[in-house]
Parts: sequence; structure tokens; C-alpha cells
Amino acid sequence: MLTLHPVRTSRLYLSWLVAIARRRTGRLAATAVGVALAVGLLASLGAFLSASKATMTKRAIATVAVDWQVQAQGTAIDPAAFTSTVAATKHIAAVETVMFASTTGFVSTKASTTQTTGPGQVLGISDQYRTTFPAQFRALTGATKGVLLFQQTAANLAAQPGDTISISRTGLSSVTVTVAGVVDIPQADSLFQTVGAPVGAQPQAPPDNVLIVSIATWHQLFDPLTAVRPDLTHVQVHVQLDHHLAADPAAAYSDVSGQARNLEAQLAGNGRVGDNLGATLAGARSDALYAQVLFLFLGTPGAVLAGLLTAAVASSGRDRRRREQALLRTRGATLQQLSALAISEAALVATVGSALGLGVALAVGRIAFGTTGFGATTSAAIVWSVAAVAVGLAIAVASVAVPARRDARNLTVAAARQTIGRTRNPRWMRWGLDFMLLGLAGVVFWLTSRNGYHLVLAVEGVPTISVSYWAFAGPALLWVGAGLLAYRLTNLLVGRGRPLVAVSLGPLAAGLSDTVAASLQRQRRLIARGAALIALTVGFAASTAIFNATYRQQAEVDAILSNGADVTVTTSPGITVSPTSPAAAVIAATTGVRHVEPIQHRFAYVGADLQDLYGVNAATIVDAGRLQNGYFQGGTARQLIATLAAQLDGVLVSAETVHDFQLLPGDPITLRLQDGATKQFISVPFHYVGVAKEFPTAPHDSFLLANATYITKMTGNDTVGAFLVSTAGNNIAGVADALRHQLGTSATVTDLSTSRTTVGSSLTAVDLDGLTRVELGFALALAAAASGLTLWLGLTERRRTFAIAAALGANQRQLGAFVWAEAAVTTGAGLGAGILSAWALSNMLVKVLHGVFDPAPEALAVPWTYLAAVMAITLAATLAAAIAAIRHAHTPHLELLRSL
Amino acid sequence: MNAETVVRAVNVARTFGAGSNAVVAVHGVDCEVGAGDLIALMGPSGSGKTTLMHLLAGLDTPTVGTVDWPAIGTRDQLRPGPIAVVFQAPSLLAPLDVLENVTLPLLLQGIDRHTARQTAFAALEQLGLDSIASKLPEELSGGQAQRVAVARVLADRPRLILADEPTGQLDHTNGCAVIDALIAAATETGAALIVNTHDHTVANRLDLHWSMSDGRLTTKVALPC
Repeated sequence: MLTLHPVRTSRLYLSWLVAIARRRTGRLAATAVGVALAVGLLASLGAFLSASKATMTKRAIATVAVDWQVQAQGTAIDPAAFTSTVAATKHIAAVETVMFASTTGFVSTKASTTQTTGPGQVLGISDQYRTTFPAQFRALTGATKGVLLFQQTAANLAAQPGDTISISRTGLSSVTVTVAGVVDIPQADSLFQTVGAPVGAQPQAPPDNVLIVSIATWHQLFDPLTAVRPDLTHVQVHVQLDHHLAADPAAAYSDVSGQARNLEAQLAGNGRVGDNLGATLAGARSDALYAQVLFLFLGTPGAVLAGLLTAAVASSGRDRRRREQALLRTRGATLQQLSALAISEAALVATVGSALGLGVALAVGRIAFGTTGFGATTSAAIVWSVAAVAVGLAIAVASVAVPARRDARNLTVAAARQTIGRTRNPRWMRWGLDFMLLGLAGVVFWLTSRNGYHLVLAVEGVPTISVSYWAFAGPALLWVGAGLLAYRLTNLLVGRGRPLVAVSLGPLAAGLSDTVAASLQRQRRLIARGAALIALTVGFAASTAIFNATYRQQAEVDAILSNGADVTVTTSPGITVSPTSPAAAVIAATTGVRHVEPIQHRFAYVGADLQDLYGVNAATIVDAGRLQNGYFQGGTARQLIATLAAQLDGVLVSAETVHDFQLLPGDPITLRLQDGATKQFISVPFHYVGVAKEFPTAPHDSFLLANATYITKMTGNDTVGAFLVSTAGNNIAGVADALRHQLGTSATVTDLSTSRTTVGSSLTAVDLDGLTRVELGFALALAAAASGLTLWLGLTERRRTFAIAAALGANQRQLGAFVWAEAAVTTGAGLGAGILSAWALSNMLVKVLHGVFDPAPEALAVPWTYLAAVMAITLAATLAAAIAAIRHAHTPHLELLRSL
Repeated sequence: MNAETVVRAVNVARTFGAGSNAVVAVHGVDCEVGAGDLIALMGPSGSGKTTLMHLLAGLDTPTVGTVDWPAIGTRDQLRPGPIAVVFQAPSLLAPLDVLENVTLPLLLQGIDRHTARQTAFAALEQLGLDSIASKLPEELSGGQAQRVAVARVLADRPRLILADEPTGQLDHTNGCAVIDALIAAATETGAALIVNTHDHTVANRLDLHWSMSDGRLTTKVALPC
């Protein structure tokens, strides 16, 4: 037994490391590449995840017009004192007092016609309000100060700037004001929320009729009302916070909601906080959790693959290591010394691989995101780097040191010299672990995707959020099970299927086909392992790509659904635009515009419900509106629109309306529409012909779809609500800018490119795109490594075999038969199994992660270019490895011959 | 030399490396081997024996001088078939069983599979190895593996057999068995046999003793029959 002084021992390890670094440079480098891929992937994705969460918080903050609406409780509260109390609270940047008064309605009289509205609200705001909260009101026409009319109210009253309207006051005489401008209230829902409503209460629709006046005017008009009916007026303090919040949306939500509760405690019952920022952050924390879920779904398999790759590379030198261990043991090396040598080798691999991986992460961050930290804070980037290095170290130890120690403990010297062996199948194969995993995957998938299942659960008002991590088990089990099944099938193919393989190899190996098949049979475990690795890699890369492509597809559908078209021109209230008006001609004549589709937009009463009614041209709307089959129920988009076209007075309604009114196809339904001439609501008969679930620019819940010609005929009004403008996807932003310039304030122009960044969640807009770039890039590297690198190392390890064959007289073609056969079987089986598992995984991923899709996809989007790239890289790496091995084998080095 | 010349070296030298690192492994060697010659090539380690064997086998090319094979043909025609090499270490292909290993050189020559297997099995039988025909190389002892390598040579029926220290890793009994097999194979096929060896017992089994020293072929002695 060797007994060495500690100094000598350390010298021994150092000498060993120097020797393997010099003489096993290729293998050491390849093993380090595996570690580097894992470290690089995790560091990149981790830093990116941190940056994404911070972006989500910033975006959430940016979308909120007013952070808090603090409403005074009770009737005897002095607005000024109440505002001062709120303003004195910590973390508050600005406050504004807003007065609210309920009115029984507005009246507008023009010439001989009088328009009357239902109940509404009159708001009193200061002159600085619009500076402090610029997103609350959007000027459409007229002045930006003075008496401002909400656009829907303006439409109801047919009022314009300069018109006089009368405000009804309960128990008091009406007062008149002159309209100075018309505004939109983008966040009317939150502005008119019921502050202090219990959690889970149904949201109330904002009032249709709103008037905004200066606070002085408000007091002048409604202080008398407050005196007699204090229940009809109230005061709110609108608050902007200082926004020094945690980067993570969940933590930011916790901060903000905590501060809101603190303020309520300070107000001691005199005020309730409408926490708009908290509500938005609550949504963002779900997005953040989805991002985390995606990180786990997409990042973890990548790291696992890199680990498997490292293990495969390390084990391709296993036979040589076993021989070296056997030699060392015959010289008296102890188990402890052999283990220490293995650990020192693992440490070297981990160090080199981690350095390389962090370098790759920095480069990826710099190239793909313009910043080495992916936009994450320095501390977050450091934390993720350290975590990634820890994983890299674990991979190196597991793939290099652990097998070496196991061999040293269990193998005899004679057994260590064996390279092929008639060993039994691995235990997992005998136990049928692959079948068990696949079966479990099915069961877990069924259990987790039943009705009512939520991957991410973020209950409103509850600080804690939860993820159904159990749902990960389905795809994970499927992926691993498919990999193991690929191993089993390849093993079966080249083992029991040897005659079949021999016949198949006929064209490639000619008279050597039986010998080559025999050679493959004896090396079936090696080949099966390679095929399983390729299957896992391809399954991972392809399913990720398909999932990402489907996600993008749905984000695009969502954007189109929200915006309506490449560019949408919405006419401003009070401005009448017919399909033949000059404005329509201006739009059509704008450079870049390919098609203009006018859409009518009205409000119609279905019973007592006021719903949006869209009048369409059935001949062109399917293509112009890019209508998806998923928008309709009971048929495709073309079928339902064709049904509508076939019946002039037909109407498509929402499923909810069908349910509420117990409608059957063909049933008559009477809507009340505003007459174009009298502005009075008149009854118009329709027939129910089908169900529409979604329509571009329409609200989700309930709307109506009818023929524009019929609406025009029955109301005498052909006014267009919006023009859907197609640019065929070209220069969308440029066309939108041109239209904005030409149409001025007479219309609102929105475009798809802007809509993409605002619809849905911030996750849709930014994060997955970055995640995709990082991940798919690494997946390509993994595919190349899994196929080419492992094949090349395996073949290199058998240089001796090839040298013997060459010495026996095998020519390049004959040597090639051995190499090509191995490459073809490994890559072919791997790719085949990988494609099948990718298909199954993609379907499962999309179903498990259905929460991130809105609307749900009709079919998977297949990114053929990327999949072709994966295939091409896998084949190219295989080709390169095989050609290099054949060249190397045909001209064996003399040193190799001398060792025979 | 009366017999047909199988291989001939004229003023052959082989230098490895260049400049100050150049090592002259073989220098100024002239030799000729006839069909049926049984030659023991001896000399201390590093004297150039293996390099000369590689040159004569056509596995390496001389830096100076020429090697030709009059009874065989050009360098491209040496393998598979006419020249067979037995190496010091077991040189069987690990993924193939014994019979497949012996069959391989025949298949490489384009002989059909059925004939090749029959020939190979006959060679194994001749050396008493038919009982281990289905074993894998790793299941064989060192002596068995070397004897299978000799059976591979026998099946191939070469014109020249070059054995580079074939008994170097074997005990006396197994070494004798291998040398017996080699001589039998050469005698059976009428091939020339050159055995590179340190072992005088082995050398004494052969007709001619060639000695090498510092890369030069110093003596060529014929032992009395």
C-alpha cells in the first residue's frame, strides 16, 4: 500500500492534474464544456428571471394612473383636513383631492331635439390634477380644462365642445354648464370603483355618464347637494406613491398592500384605501410566478441535459480510467487516494467549466440583451452566478468523481480491464421504470389538468401566492420516461434486432454488414445511451421551441384581438364618419395601407343590458379582421360569418346572452338602437343565428355582431366606429404615425406593434422573448454537443480498435462502415425518439401551462426553421464527428501501433 | 537466398522528429526475407526492432532508402492478405467474438461471409481454439487472445508474418503455445516469419537470428538445423 507524506500526496495530486491536463486535454475540455453549458444556462436564465421580475414591477407601476384612491368614510369630514392627513403618511409622493357627486342625469338640447341620459357622476378636480396624474384623462376634442365630458356621455347626448348641458341634482334645481372638451377615461373601472368593497365582490361597471369640472365649480354646484343629501357626494384623495419598491412583484405587492393597510389604520375608520397599484402588482406577481414556472419548465431540463452530457463525456473515458485505476491499484494505491484523485479531477473540471460558463453567460447577456447582467441588479446576478457554479460543481462531482469512486470500490482489477462485457440490462430496464414513468406522467397530467386546476393561484387580497408545482411532474416524468424508452428501444433494436440492422446496413457496409451489426450489438449500451441523450436533447429543444412559438402565436392573436388590425382608427365621439366620407378616403390613400375595413360600433339594449353592437361587412370581415375559429362557437369563423351573411337581420350574440335569454337559433330578438336622425332609441328586430365569443376590439364578456347594411337600413345611420387598416404586416408603426399626423384629434390611431407590448401581461410582451433567445441558443449548443461531441469522444476512445482494423487492412470505406453505422443508428434512433417525445411534450406543456395562453390556441405553432436548425446541427455535428473519426482511424499514429 | 523474396530493404533509415530532437531509430539497414524464412529479430530495448518491423510490414515509410515486396506487389497491395502482423498486446477487436475476429481479415478481402467463417473456424480448430469461438476477447486469458491472433493470421494465409514480441506478456507455457502456433501457421502456409523477441528460448525455435543494436542490423546468423 502506498503511504505518502501529505506534501508528497499533494504533489501526487498536482502531478496527476498536470498530466491529465496535458494528455487528456480534449476529454477534459469536453467535460468542462458540459459543465459550462449548465453553468452558463442557469446563470443566464437566473439573472434574466430576476431582471424580468424587476421589469414586470416597473411595467405594473407604469400602467397605473392613480396608485391609491383614499375615500373618506362618513359625511362630516373636511376634505382639506382629510387630504392633509393622507399626505402626511410615509412613502407618499403626491396627493390630489377629488370630489364626487351623483346626478340623476344630464340633458342636452339642440335645436328641436333633447337628449337625456341616465344617472351619472360629476367629478371635481384641481387644475394640477392632470399634471400629477396624466394617465387618468385623455383629451379627445376641445379644451383640456374647464367642463370636460366623458366620450360616451358625449355620444349619448350628441354633445360637442361649446354645447350647453344641464345637470340634474336630486332635490334641487338643475344647473347648466358649457362643455369645453371631450375626454376619454382609460381607467374608468378603477376611478369609479367601490372603495372598500369586500374581496371577491363583483366589480361594478363604471357609469356611462361622467362630467368633470374644476373643484371650485364642483363646490359651487354640489355643496348645496351635500347639505341636503350628503350621501350623494363624497371625497377621495388620489395618491401617488414614491415607487421605491422591491424588484419582485410579489414583494412589491406585499410592500404596497402593507402600506395601504397601515394608512387605513392611521385613519382609524375615517378612510378606506382603493389600492390600484396593489391590484396591478397582484396581477404582475402572477406573471412573475409564471415566469418562474417557465424558468423551471425550460431551464431545469437544460441544466439536467448539460449534466447528462457531462456524465456521458466523462463516462466515454471510463474504460481508460478503469484501466488506469487498475494499474494504480496494482501499484498499491488506496481507495482513499483513488477517490482523492477523482475529486481533484472533478474540481479541475468544475473550475474550468464554471469559468467558461460564466464567460458564456456574460457574452450571451452582452450580445442578446446589451448588458452582461441581463438587466438584473449586481447582487441578483452574483447570487445566480454563485448558484450556477454550485450546480456546475455538483455536476462535475456527480459525473466524474462519483463514478470513479464507485468503480474503485466495486470493481476488481480484472473486471476493471473489461471494456464490453456480457452484462445484464440495467436494473431500471428490468423493473420497467420507463413504462412506470410514462404511466405516471399520464396519471399526473390527468389529475392536474382536470377542471378547476390552476397552475398559479394568486387570490385577490391574499399576500401569499401558490404554484401547483405538482403539475411540473407530468411533463418532467414524460420527458425522462421518453428518454429511458428511447434507450430501451435502441437497445432492443441493435440487440435483438441485430439481423434487421445487418440487412439495413447492407448498402453501407456490404460484406461487413453482419460484422458491423455484431459490433453494434456488443456496444448497444453505449449506442442506446447516445440515442437517449439525443432524444432528450431534441425533445427538450423542439418542445420548448414549439411551446414558445405557440405562445408567440397566441400573443399575436391576443394583440390582434385587442387592436383589431395592423392599425385601427377609432373615430372620436361626436364626429360622424361614414364609409364614403373624406376621412375614409384619406385612410385608404395613405402610403402603406393595403385594405381598409370599416366597422360600425353602436350601443344596443338587449332587454335592460347595454351591449356593444358591431356592424360588419360579412364578405370581407373574416380576412380583414383576421378572425380565428376560436372566436366563435358551433363552427368556424367562415361558417358563422357566412351564416350571418345569409340572413340580413341575423345577429351573433355572446354565449352569456344566449344563456340569459334562453335563445335558440332562429329566435327573434329585438334590440333597441339609437336612431340616426332622432337620436332616440328605437326597436329593431333581429334573428339570433349563432354565438361569437371574441371579436377584435370588442369586450370579452358580451357583445353583438350584425350586418352593417341592416343596421344602416334600420337606423338610417352608417357612421363608422372604427377602421381596421391592413398594412400586410409592413411598416405598421410608420403607417400608424402617418395616419395620426393626417387625422389629428378627429380619431384615435392604435397599432399592433404598440398593442403587442401592452396587451395581456408583461410576460407576453417582453419576457418570454428573451427567455426564448437564451434557451433556444443553449438548446442548439446542447444538440450539437449531445450528438457530435459524445459520438466523437466515443469513437476516439476506440481508436485502438480502429488502429487494429486498419493494421489488418481495413480501407477507409470499411472503417467508415463501422463509424457510419454507429453514427446512423445513434442519431437516427435519437432523432426519431426525440421528435416523438417533442410532439407529446409540446401538447402536454401547452395544456399544463394553459393559464398563460389567452386566448387558448387552436393548434400548436411549429417553428419549422428552428426545428430544421436543430436537425441540421445534430446531423452536421454527427457528420463532422464521423468524418474526423474515420480520417483519424485510417492513419493511426505510430504511437498507437507501438502500443499494440 | 534461393527462395522467392518476400520483402527487401535497401539502406533503410527512419528518423523521428527533426533538428536537435531528431531520433534515428533505424539506420542503414539492408535485408532480404525469402518465402519460408523463420527469423528471430533480437536486440536490446530501443534498438529499433519494432520500427524495422513496421517498415517491413509497410505500416511506416522509411526516411531514407527503400522497402519493396517483390513477391507481393506495391505498398497498396500489402493488406489485407499478404502481410499479417501479430502485436505484443492483445490485438483482438473488443466488440467482436473470437470467430468474428478471425473472420474479419477475410471479409476485408471481400471473401464471402460463409467461406470466411468456414476458413476462420478451421483455423481455430487447427489451433485447438474452436471451443472458445463464441467468447468475447475480454473473456479470454492473455495466452488465448494471442493464439486467437495467430489463428487470425493462419486463416488469412499471408506471405509474410511479422510478430512483435508476441510472447512478451505471457508466461512460459502460453508463450511456447503461441510460438508453436506461429511456426505452424508459417510452415502450413509457406509464409516467411519474423519474430521480434528478447527470449532466447523463442529465438532458438527459429532458423535465422538477426540482431539489432542502435538502429543497425548487426548480425544475421543461421542456426544449424
